[in-house]
Amino acid sequence: MIRDITIGQYYPGETWVHKLDPRLKIIITLVFIISLFLVRDFIGYAVAAAALAITIAISRVPLPFILRGLKAIFIIIIFTFALNMFMTGGTALVRVGFLTITREGLYNAVFMGLRLVFLIIGSSMLTLTTKPIKLTDGIESLLNPLRAVGVPAHELAMMMTIALRFIPTLLEETDKIMKAQVARGADFESGNIIRRAKNMIPILIPLFISAFRIAQDLAMAMEARCYRGGEGRTKLHELKFKERDVAASLLTVLFLALILLEREFWAILEMLAISR
Amino acid sequence: MSIVVKDLVYIYGEGTPYETVALDGVSFEIGDEEFVGLIGHTGSGKSTLVQHLNGLLKPKSGQIFVGGTEITARKKGLTNIRRKIGLLFQYPEYQLFEETVYKDVAFGPSNLGLSETEIDQRVREAMFLVGLDFTAMAERSPFELSGGQKRKAAIAGVIAMRPDVLILDEPTAGLDPRSHADILDMLDKIRKSRGVIVILISHNMADVARMADKVIVMDGGKIALAGTPAEVFAQDEFLSAAGLGLPPITKFIREMRQKGAKIGSNPLTLDEAEEAIDAYLTTKRGAGA
Repeated sequence: MIRDITIGQYYPGETWVHKLDPRLKIIITLVFIISLFLVRDFIGYAVAAAALAITIAISRVPLPFILRGLKAIFIIIIFTFALNMFMTGGTALVRVGFLTITREGLYNAVFMGLRLVFLIIGSSMLTLTTKPIKLTDGIESLLNPLRAVGVPAHELAMMMTIALRFIPTLLEETDKIMKAQVARGADFESGNIIRRAKNMIPILIPLFISAFRIAQDLAMAMEARCYRGGEGRTKLHELKFKERDVAASLLTVLFLALILLEREFWAILEMLAISR
Repeated sequence: MSIVVKDLVYIYGEGTPYETVALDGVSFEIGDEEFVGLIGHTGSGKSTLVQHLNGLLKPKSGQIFVGGTEITARKKGLTNIRRKIGLLFQYPEYQLFEETVYKDVAFGPSNLGLSETEIDQRVREAMFLVGLDFTAMAERSPFELSGGQKRKAAIAGVIAMRPDVLILDEPTAGLDPRSHADILDMLDKIRKSRGVIVILISHNMADVARMADKVIVMDGGKIALAGTPAEVFAQDEFLSAAGLGLPPITKFIREMRQKGAKIGSNPLTLDEAEEAIDAYLTTKRGAGA
């Protein structure tokens, strides 16, 4: 019933993108996100889209699989689009009742909508091509310098690992409980919102109890294997920066340079004209 | 009431890298008041199969008829089918949620829109059938009960709907011998009093051999073998290849035969084994005298 949720899912593969150092991948994703906010016009988006398309092509993650993740936030995109379209002042294009669509509004709507789509696809590329374990390893390693100021890097990373690890488990559990209650004649689809919320009780209570049971078992299992936090803990797989990581870093710098160049294109042109 | 399943195919996670074929062309028929034992190793598709029988899962292709009505094609009106088919999941004690055992058992019947008196009657009956003492248990919280009692309360919740078909997915897994016996007794009682179809998924070959009229063996999403318990448990090599085994007593007699005892039959239950050994000893004594 709820197997369609793909946010945070991993798509197995052995490609160049999959093998990149997770720390670098996190940084690249951050650079990509920031660059999306630096972009001022559609040419900039074309640069971002090209970079994204190349990454996707190399990673061999099928496009339908990536787009499925967009479905979950479809409503947010539509909402942003509509809000921008109707709420921006400027030259009126169409007037329907009290609603006015302006030229600037339409431009803004498309612009913001695209930004959201790129944001989602860009960040889902990170989780699609990185195993959760590697991802948290990367986060831990990036947070490590902050330990000096009291950030519990390992503990945060461990919490994230556990949270990620148990999303599928809890989804499965929800699915099972839902089916069991449906088999007993429960109905989650009809009735008004209050009635529906009330109908969720037979799912939520067993789910909470399961979650606590799982947490307790996990804590016991970790203690039985002498887990005692990050102090003196070593790793089976050490993260190492390889040649391909250097290459990817250079490409990222190139990408950022392109984005900045495009953004300041007219300003640069003007400067050149003046200096001449 | 009968159940007919034709060429059922089901695929998990279709279109993702995790795609697996869970059911691969499953067909069978179950007649009136039959007791069917469904066996197969973990992951062979038993649980997926039974979830199709009350419309919880929709097959990719194939048809299911329950009492003559097709249930695969429809989207609405499944509630009616689910009234007729009681499905008890594995570890059903994790679906308990109400404040009292009474309310939890009454959850199913009240979803059917029955009157208070009717619900009350059904709850009492269901608790009696599973062997939970009404006066002592009805007002207690289900979370205070022992593991075996929780299991019984959950089973009562399904029985209280008075289904025509009762499907149980490993109802005795992880129970103590006493609760195990109680649950099998309950199945006997329900069959005798109400004449329902029972489908029992179990890893306990002795239970299946003793209770079932018909045994279906699943392997890799297909039906590998089907027939009476005597027919199925005669194929011991096939069963062990499918990751299954024989009822302990059948195995015992088979080993006796290999050691030279001339026992002709293949007993499936203790009673049958007693007769067979008795007959063997009598002839042996007769020959010796």
